[in-house]
Amino acid sequence: MNRAFVPTAIALATAAFLGGCATQTTYVDPGSTRTITNVGELNVQDWNMASEAMVNSLIAKHINSGALKGSGPDGRAVLAISRIVNSTSLQIDTDVLVKKIRVSLLGTGKVVADITAGLGGPEDPLAAEAKREQQFLGTQKVAPRPDYTLSGKIIENRTRQGNKSESTYIFQMALATRDGLAVWEEEKTITKQGKRSAVGW
Amino acid sequence: MNSSLIRVLASATLLAAIGTGCETVNTSEPAQPAFQRNMVSEKRVITDASLARRVQVQGINVSEGPGGFLKVQAEILNTTRSYQRFAYKWEWFDKDGNLVEGPASVAVTRQVEGKESLFLQGVAPNAAVRDFRLKLYENAR
Repeated sequence: MNRAFVPTAIALATAAFLGGCATQTTYVDPGSTRTITNVGELNVQDWNMASEAMVNSLIAKHINSGALKGSGPDGRAVLAISRIVNSTSLQIDTDVLVKKIRVSLLGTGKVVADITAGLGGPEDPLAAEAKREQQFLGTQKVAPRPDYTLSGKIIENRTRQGNKSESTYIFQMALATRDGLAVWEEEKTITKQGKRSAVGW
Repeated sequence: MNSSLIRVLASATLLAAIGTGCETVNTSEPAQPAFQRNMVSEKRVITDASLARRVQVQGINVSEGPGGFLKVQAEILNTTRSYQRFAYKWEWFDKDGNLVEGPASVAVTRQVEGKESLFLQGVAPNAAVRDFRLKLYENAR
């Protein structure tokens, strides 16, 4: 009886051990609040909330008010992306924010994006080459200049008290006309608090 | 003597605990508001009764700007005396009832103090949007 019990117990213990080691991976909706968040980083939810706030503000204050003027196709405004400064201690790709804003603005039907103009070179080199060719051949006499440029900055502020730590991320964006006048500006502040981790920050 | 001291201390601790848990908001506004909201009649589907009891939608008003984009504002009231966290999401529909989605269609977390009311504002992603839906969630985090 005892002899039969021992191997069974070992088998059960091994199964439990292996079962415990197995990782369980699940898909979550990136637009939900089920994604992982922590204090020391910019998480998916933070980018989502920042872009949602920026897009809502831009539509409500500038596009819906009828203030948007454009020289692009069908009278749409031509937008180019200027510098988005990362002033945080994190290594982040600001395109996470900019792309969301651009996709949303394109979806309004009032804005088109110029992807041949950019500070670090054109986003689409082939499109830039085709544009230059058209100008050279005379099929496009005047190169359309962006009606608006979008610039911004992400700032970080960290503090702690006792075992609580707090991170604040400030997203600042501005839309400027060809004359260099800012016609829309917005700031979204996201503050997160949590217990201080045992290792690192 | 000892038992009465213990009772006094326990009562004080309990009152302190209750006091710290309840920080409500006092508000004041003109008795005759200078604005008139275009309130809409709503249909509510409540599956989380606990959340619906704590965070209630008081009313929803809509407006449309010169650009033709629908702007919606919902007044939310924390009916409890304690700080509440929740998340909300706007969903937008065109005239045919099709969902209009975009990268900005995400759940946004908010916090509300005890007995405080706040406004949630949403702007339609494009001028073709004619209808909306507001979803309230128990905040996962």
